[in-house]
Amino acid sequence: MSGIGKVAANSRIRRSPVRFLCLLAVLLLATFFLAIFIGAKGPIGSDDIDEMRYSELFDAILDKDSERLSYSTTAIVWAFRIPRVLLAGLVGASLACAGTAMQAVFRNPMADPFIIGVSSGAAIGASSAGLIGLTVVVGSFTKPMLAFACAIVTVFFVYRMGTIRGKVQVETLLLSGVAVAAFLGAIVSFLMYSAGQQFHELLLWLLGSFAEPRWSYVWMMLFPALAGVIIIFLYGRELNALLLGEETAHNLGANPETLKKLMLAVAAFVTAGAVAFTGIIGFVGLIVPHMMRILVGADHRVLVPAATLFGASFLIWADSIARTILPGEELPVGVITAMCGGPFFLYLLRRSRTGSVIS
Amino acid sequence: MKLNVSDLSFSFDSSKVLKNISFETAEGEFLGLMGPNGSGKTTLLRCLTRYLPARAGAILVDMKPLHTMTDREVASTFAVVPQSSSTDFPFTAKDVVLMGRIPHMQSRLSSSRREDADKALAAMTVSGCAHLANRSFSELSGGERQRVVIARALAQEPKALLLDEPTVYLDISGQLEMMDLVAKLNREESLTIIAVLHDINLAARYCDRIALLNQGKLEVLGPPNDVLRPEVILTVYGVDVTVRKDPLTHDVFVMPRSPTVLSTKIGRRIHVLCGGGSGGPIMRALVDGGYSVSVGVLNVLDSDYESATDLRVPIIAEVPFAQISDDMHAENLKRIDETPIVVVTHFPVGPGNFRNLEAAMYALKAGKRVYILTGGGGARIDFVGGKADAFIGDLVDAGAVKIKSVTDMMHIIGE
Repeated sequence: MSGIGKVAANSRIRRSPVRFLCLLAVLLLATFFLAIFIGAKGPIGSDDIDEMRYSELFDAILDKDSERLSYSTTAIVWAFRIPRVLLAGLVGASLACAGTAMQAVFRNPMADPFIIGVSSGAAIGASSAGLIGLTVVVGSFTKPMLAFACAIVTVFFVYRMGTIRGKVQVETLLLSGVAVAAFLGAIVSFLMYSAGQQFHELLLWLLGSFAEPRWSYVWMMLFPALAGVIIIFLYGRELNALLLGEETAHNLGANPETLKKLMLAVAAFVTAGAVAFTGIIGFVGLIVPHMMRILVGADHRVLVPAATLFGASFLIWADSIARTILPGEELPVGVITAMCGGPFFLYLLRRSRTGSVIS
Repeated sequence: MKLNVSDLSFSFDSSKVLKNISFETAEGEFLGLMGPNGSGKTTLLRCLTRYLPARAGAILVDMKPLHTMTDREVASTFAVVPQSSSTDFPFTAKDVVLMGRIPHMQSRLSSSRREDADKALAAMTVSGCAHLANRSFSELSGGERQRVVIARALAQEPKALLLDEPTVYLDISGQLEMMDLVAKLNREESLTIIAVLHDINLAARYCDRIALLNQGKLEVLGPPNDVLRPEVILTVYGVDVTVRKDPLTHDVFVMPRSPTVLSTKIGRRIHVLCGGGSGGPIMRALVDGGYSVSVGVLNVLDSDYESATDLRVPIIAEVPFAQISDDMHAENLKRIDETPIVVVTHFPVGPGNFRNLEAAMYALKAGKRVYILTGGGGARIDFVGGKADAFIGDLVDAGAVKIKSVTDMMHIIGE
């Protein structure tokens, strides 16, 4: 395990966690509205002279059917930017929240939401859908559905491997997850190798992207994400106890077996949903819980909402950068999450470890 | 709380760990669980907390069967303090204590955080760690962490505290502070205490009763004075011990003598002339070395007399504070006749026991080997005006050999 746990949390934030959570909520709201103004067609981040004006966008947001605006403006705002921002927020929140739960279940700050094979399972589903050409034949929902199904099947398999006599053995589960991910990863690599011209599209999916936002995706993400976050939050006290060991959790009246199974199921479901629609966006589920733990401490009743709110903001920002940083082109959002998150995380880590001690 | 355990058995796969354990605890009792490693102490605790499911038998808490209780009811009956607690995650001490409120959580949605915080703080005050509330749990010392864990246990508002070797990783002052705290909770909060303890003397000092487990069976259960007897400890632990009473508290305490059961007898006979506490080490070394030792004339109440009794060595004994009588002297000489080697220790010589030196001369004249332990070369403690020192000189002239230490003595005798 890493020594991050020894880091003492920031004292001012820890004394008034509710104020900090409100701050994160305000940040998310501001992020949401600001991100709608960002895009290749302007007003922020434009590479076009013929850009949209702020006032036009305001009008479009306020009134979807306004007659004073051109069709393209309302279309960009309502069919493209708003669902995209919402989707990024939902996915960010889901991954960060699921990551927090996984780190508690595995009592290991290196765990992430993909640890029990969600990403590799989804990758198999998505790549086979793309390669066989099912997308063309059956319809555009095939890829997310197949990715989701394969992710759930993989998680179930890993879970079975890591369960001995009805008890979830955390270490076995971890190793099974790693082994299955390696095996499926090899198959994905093979598929990609033989993919030829579809290689680029597949790679883009593997790195994660919000390039095809749809309202239907938003609606389909909304329920599992909300339910997942709420369930994980409600079990915050038990997750705290679990971090001191399964026997301690049991002695404190929190049934560790039920808790582990519930958390694994919720996290797998939420993560599989996120991956199915947007591909494998790394880093958010691993680093956001870390960052928040440095700031608010390990109490899950604060940590879970903090990670959820910040995860959403973080991914919206990452996506905003991804779609504007290169003129006329989009980067996979996974590239941005790693590029921005890495240094910021290192900064937080160094700062908290050099000037630690909660007073 | 009244606890009834009857006919409790537990097995891992095919090996039986607990065999038909039955006992009861009284309201507010301090019960020590002892026994060698692997005797089932921790397993017994885990059956009480239901972390392990008892295979057979019944556990009743205030006459209510344990298996009918919910997880949270069990957690508000028994609170556990493990050997040590650690986590890699940045919890404060207060976070850890608040975990103790989980069994009293009304509902997941309601937040009675005020009441929980108050109870956590009260618990920390009782266990003396309120000043640590905002410190990072992983940065605390072992003793401080145990205090925080006790506060967590108190926050559970349990009926009994189960401790599993709570002092194992603490230094001696930490051990005493910890046990004093537990004893205070036992007294003032009338909490029933069930503690697995390794340190026999700590257990003797604090427990009302001690349950001694051996290979999954309850060997004895009773007050420390009854349980901690040399023969019981020899059977259970296979260690030879001396049991004494602390002169200040009259608590029994136990001193281990040899790590193994008495070695096989060589059978060679050696007679030791000693007194005044000078003979203990050589007697022990000889007994451990497998010799057949006897010891001559000692007054009852002499500390060498006690040592010889503990070692189960035959003693030629005189009544307390009396001179060596003719009868006992004769007995002593008779014993020397049957013995090829005589050891004279560095004992204080007065008019009462001068005859022990004469016995040594008798041995030399009879052609026995006589060794004089000089005890590092200092002058003999002579209470007869130089007569003793002169007599020792005569013994050496007559062929007695002076030897500096017990180790050298064992070496020479062994050849």
